[in-house]
Amino acid sequence: MSKIIRTMVWLATAALGALALATIALHRGEQINAMWLVVAALCSYALGYRFYSKFISAKVLALDRSRATPAERLENGRDFVPTNKWVVFGHHFAAIAGPGPLVGPVLAAQFGYLPGTLWILAGAVFGGCVQDFVILLFSVRRDGKSLTEMARDEIGPVGGLVAYVSVIGIMVILLGVCALVVVNALKSSPWGTFTIAMTIPIALLMGWYLRSLRPGKVLESSALGFVLVMLAIWGGQVVSQNPSMARWFTFTAPALAIVIILYGFAASALPVWLLLAPRDYLSTFVKLGTIGLLAVGILALRPTLHMPPLTRFLDGSGPVFAGNIFPFAFITIACGAISGFHSLIASGTTPKLIRRETETRMVGYGAMLAESMVAIMAMIAACTLQPGVYFSINSPAGIVGQTPEVATMAISGWGFPVSSAEMHALTQAVGEQTLFNRTGGAPAFAVGMAQIFSNSLGGHAFMALWYHFAIMFEALFILTVLDAGTRVGRFMLQDALGHVWKPLGRTSWYPSILLTSAIIVAAWGYFLWQGVKDPLGGINSLWPLFGISNQLLATVALCVATTIIIKSGKSRYAAVTFVPLAWLVAITFSASWYKIFSPNPRIGFLSHARQLAASSSNARLIFNDRLDAAVTAALILMVTLIVIESAMEWFRVVSGRKIGIMKESPFVATQFTIEERG
Amino acid sequence: MSRAARAFIHQFRLAAQIFVGVLHEIFDEAAYSRFLLRNHTTSSRESYSEFRRENELAKARRPRCC
Repeated sequence: MSKIIRTMVWLATAALGALALATIALHRGEQINAMWLVVAALCSYALGYRFYSKFISAKVLALDRSRATPAERLENGRDFVPTNKWVVFGHHFAAIAGPGPLVGPVLAAQFGYLPGTLWILAGAVFGGCVQDFVILLFSVRRDGKSLTEMARDEIGPVGGLVAYVSVIGIMVILLGVCALVVVNALKSSPWGTFTIAMTIPIALLMGWYLRSLRPGKVLESSALGFVLVMLAIWGGQVVSQNPSMARWFTFTAPALAIVIILYGFAASALPVWLLLAPRDYLSTFVKLGTIGLLAVGILALRPTLHMPPLTRFLDGSGPVFAGNIFPFAFITIACGAISGFHSLIASGTTPKLIRRETETRMVGYGAMLAESMVAIMAMIAACTLQPGVYFSINSPAGIVGQTPEVATMAISGWGFPVSSAEMHALTQAVGEQTLFNRTGGAPAFAVGMAQIFSNSLGGHAFMALWYHFAIMFEALFILTVLDAGTRVGRFMLQDALGHVWKPLGRTSWYPSILLTSAIIVAAWGYFLWQGVKDPLGGINSLWPLFGISNQLLATVALCVATTIIIKSGKSRYAAVTFVPLAWLVAITFSASWYKIFSPNPRIGFLSHARQLAASSSNARLIFNDRLDAAVTAALILMVTLIVIESAMEWFRVVSGRKIGIMKESPFVATQFTIEERG
Repeated sequence: MSRAARAFIHQFRLAAQIFVGVLHEIFDEAAYSRFLLRNHTTSSRESYSEFRRENELAKARRPRCC
């Protein structure tokens, strides 16, 4: 293609993207088609990838095609394996895509579709993709070292310690919040609970197929498992319509919380790999299939967004979670825009598979763009709901009232008309007992997804099946995150305790396994229990805490990246990571300040505790608020420590008081070029 | 068959191969093949059990993203 045509194509892409962004930003008072969001996203991603990531590759990172990667130098056929870039891309995407980009945008939709969409696009192109890309490359240049190791080597011991504590902290909060989302999706839902329960015998059958019948044929067994899960969804309908059977699968939120806590402990402490490994494969299979199906559904149906671009809740009085648009919209949507957790994946398995340095751009930057697109699809699914329906599902009873009549009156009073008859019809259509007070984002996403699917595949009669398919997909997905996260947390704790007393560090010593599993499960189980018992639904206090901790980890990653860029003598380009870092520091500090000290009891933990104390409420609830305030303060203290230590290191290097020495692996020329030429 | 059709089929085959390759990697089938190659053995119940034992600890330490 000639240069003129190429230039014209990119100018047209920029013009189309600008038109789409202007349409979603400036339309007021009339509904727009979801395709405007899709077009705005695709054009922004294309421009970001083509120009911004290329600039970073060439000027900031100076990617070197001739430099051998650890996958080539340390190839062992096990961890270090040079792999086709598209395969690594798919592998990396499957590892970073979790429930976060689906739940966060659904919750943030209470502000309208505009703030969340703009943050997802800008946050991904200028923040999240950059973080994933640079951390992946820096790990590749350090033999696949982890974020914690890079923080210790490049910033200092405080950086390393803060990174370690952050990882454990975020893991605990993440697991508590994820478990709460599952509880809120499955409570009083015999259909959903039955389907999830059935994944246990299905996984055992898959395990038997894998071990005995067709060893190693994971794809075959996953396809078989998928068919059986679809049958279980159909069977769930039969169970839910039979009162005596439905009784066995109808759980209250506290009962489900106890079951999930026991499940987490068993998954970590007992040798139940026969169950967990096949279920992990099944979850990945369903996840990839559903994301693909949702994309096809949106493109085929091109739904209209019923949510306005901006709602009255910009002022911080939202029922889903309380807090102003700044900083809370940016804390609520973490994955999908920028997620610190990705830096763990980008400095974990992926760098050991990269065949050439130049491929880090496509894998790191590109896979995060794909994840961001998933977040846009979740935003679309939530915003295709009538706002009254959206708020009926996502508003806790403590805000809108206990009965459907009172709740719909309150929501209609906000300017989002909805009737209890309308909600009753929708509840019947999806085969649930109630859709009120289903906080957490998962049920609202499932209803939106079911509407999209049923309008393009199967018609209204399939609405209930699609709804429960979506619930099964989210719950299965989250339970996998839960059991994997508990095990990882247990290993990290064992590594740390091993420095105190050696036997505690032995991963095969059963007393240590039981103790560390119990500590990790008790930690996230406490947050889960707190959320279940919270009259405001739990999400209001826990999701911001999760957002703050996730962004804290991103702050650590960007501190590491900025330090390495400055040490490499590229200070003039440090803004590439420094600007998103400064933004994250601003939002984590502001959000933490509000969460601790805001005089509004719906936002500030301490003012809420004072309000409860004044009304002689339950001492446990007061303690929970104070604990949340302390956890938030601890998180912010860690941000402060790592930022100060990094800034001192930057000052020393830039002012010439210290020579910037990086801990990179020495240059070795790749043999691939020679092989390819030969 | 025209040259354009042949080129399209070639590109389609390539894309399908990559797609299958991605699935093999994600679902550990590629890792199992490498294990068999490394140990000069063929697929069997015993080989797969051995592979799972070797793979499990590394997999268990791998975080799942949110």
